[in-house]
Amino acid sequence: MIPGNRDIRDGILFSLPFMVVFALFMVYPLVFGFYISFFRWNILGTPAFLGLQNYADLFRDEKFWSSLWHTVQFVLMTTPVLLVMGFLMALLVTGKSPLKGLMETVFFVPYIFSMTVVATLWAWIMQKDFGILNHIIRMLGGEGVSWLTSESNAMWSISIATYWWTAGFNMVLFTAGIKQISKEVFESATVDGANALQKVLHITIPLVKPTTILCLILQVIASFNVFGQVYVMTGGGPAGSTRVLIQYIYETGFSYFRMGYSAAMSYILFAIIMAISVIQYAVLGRRND
Amino acid sequence: MAARKKILPRILEILLIAVWVFPLAWMVITSLKYENEVVTRAFTFLPANPTLYNYIEAFGSTYILRWLLNSLIISLVTMAATFILDAPIAYAFAKIRFPGRSILFWLVMAGMMVPFQVLIVPLYLQFNSYGIINTLTAAILPRLAMPIGIFILRQFYEGIPDALEEAAFIDGAGRLRTFTRIILPLGKSAATTVIILAFINAWNDFLWPLIAINDSVRYTITVGIANFQGTHGTEYALIMAGAVIASVPELIFFLIFRRKIIDGIAMTGLKG
Repeated sequence: MIPGNRDIRDGILFSLPFMVVFALFMVYPLVFGFYISFFRWNILGTPAFLGLQNYADLFRDEKFWSSLWHTVQFVLMTTPVLLVMGFLMALLVTGKSPLKGLMETVFFVPYIFSMTVVATLWAWIMQKDFGILNHIIRMLGGEGVSWLTSESNAMWSISIATYWWTAGFNMVLFTAGIKQISKEVFESATVDGANALQKVLHITIPLVKPTTILCLILQVIASFNVFGQVYVMTGGGPAGSTRVLIQYIYETGFSYFRMGYSAAMSYILFAIIMAISVIQYAVLGRRND
Repeated sequence: MAARKKILPRILEILLIAVWVFPLAWMVITSLKYENEVVTRAFTFLPANPTLYNYIEAFGSTYILRWLLNSLIISLVTMAATFILDAPIAYAFAKIRFPGRSILFWLVMAGMMVPFQVLIVPLYLQFNSYGIINTLTAAILPRLAMPIGIFILRQFYEGIPDALEEAAFIDGAGRLRTFTRIILPLGKSAATTVIILAFINAWNDFLWPLIAINDSVRYTITVGIANFQGTHGTEYALIMAGAVIASVPELIFFLIFRRKIIDGIAMTGLKG
């Protein structure tokens, strides 16, 4: 309590600068975007009110469904693997190895690189004719793989680059989770004769569950928002087989300038992400209590 | 037997480290080769004649230095502005009892749930009408409305005992003075985390600068590198030199703030 109670005035004054920016560049565009989604809205021409037409069109748009499916594919290809990798890495860096400090840095460092650098690098590593992966495969007597130029491989290749890029992020979260488990639990397990594997299965995994849920939710959201890797590594090809939803939103809005349609699509994606987060939270969070 | 038991895991770990570092090494190795050594089926691992030609070429014939400068300006301004905007409101949320505080707080926190791609079309139209599309300002502004910094700072400020503030009030200090002399210095470590994360996120931003900026001179480094492949097609050695140059500032930043960055992520679970 301040003498002469100026709490109201001070509360407003201290909040105001951020709230102005928040209102202008978060709240307003959020509302404006929703409004736009009911219009045929090109940069030139006059906007025409369409009602729910954009949303109705979406449901009949094959490209929308295929982009959504590719996005879901990417989520399914990356999420479980990244969780397991992050967890295993965290086990390594919280163990007794003298290399654990080095490992933590090395596993994390790719995440520091911007995604376009990472994608550019992996596009080169996976290049069909001169990339080192195929050089190695050919030296071992195999045949070069079309990592990025075949419809069945491209999304997996993008996923591999993503594993390398962000597994270290999940490692950091799991490491923090594991470090919170009290040492006494492990010590009494040792006294009871539990081996390392038993300790992981019966102590670490159950006790890091809150971290696992956090990682899962964050990872699903991050994977749903995939764009840059695809943009750089395949451009959505071959034959649109890796075109993801954000890329379609981007193309619709900024290559074809169908702003209303693009906005409608982004709201559908928003709704999907929200729904999945809520479901995950409700299902996993409750069982945790 | 006991010795072997200890050596095998170490060997596996070293192997794992090598695999994880290899792509980065390969980026550097490729950048030191001449193009004709890169684009050939006759594979060489290390450069036959190491050269800095690609670096000279990258600096000389692309805008890469400008892109770095643009990214640096955007990231530094974002960093400073984030602190200036976030710290006062975080303090208000933590310590000032004003009506509507909790509603305002939840409104701001709800902003964390908004995926950025929902904002790209309206923001573009909005900024187009302001006439600031294709400027660095356009790349900066939306980042400043992101509430994650407030979340971190508020949590920290709440932990500061009220007694410290009250003592200052009794000594006749006003709200502003208490904020700048007591809260800000005590919250230094949380503030460092916030501005480091703000810097990294601004530096790595891709989708929005790709949309907001069209002139290749004004690209950020992420957009510049992404478009490198379009303009330099199969000049892989040059592209890798560009990727190395683009990574140096981030790497330096990481080496300086390694602990802070990792702890910051562990604390907030903030992704991209």
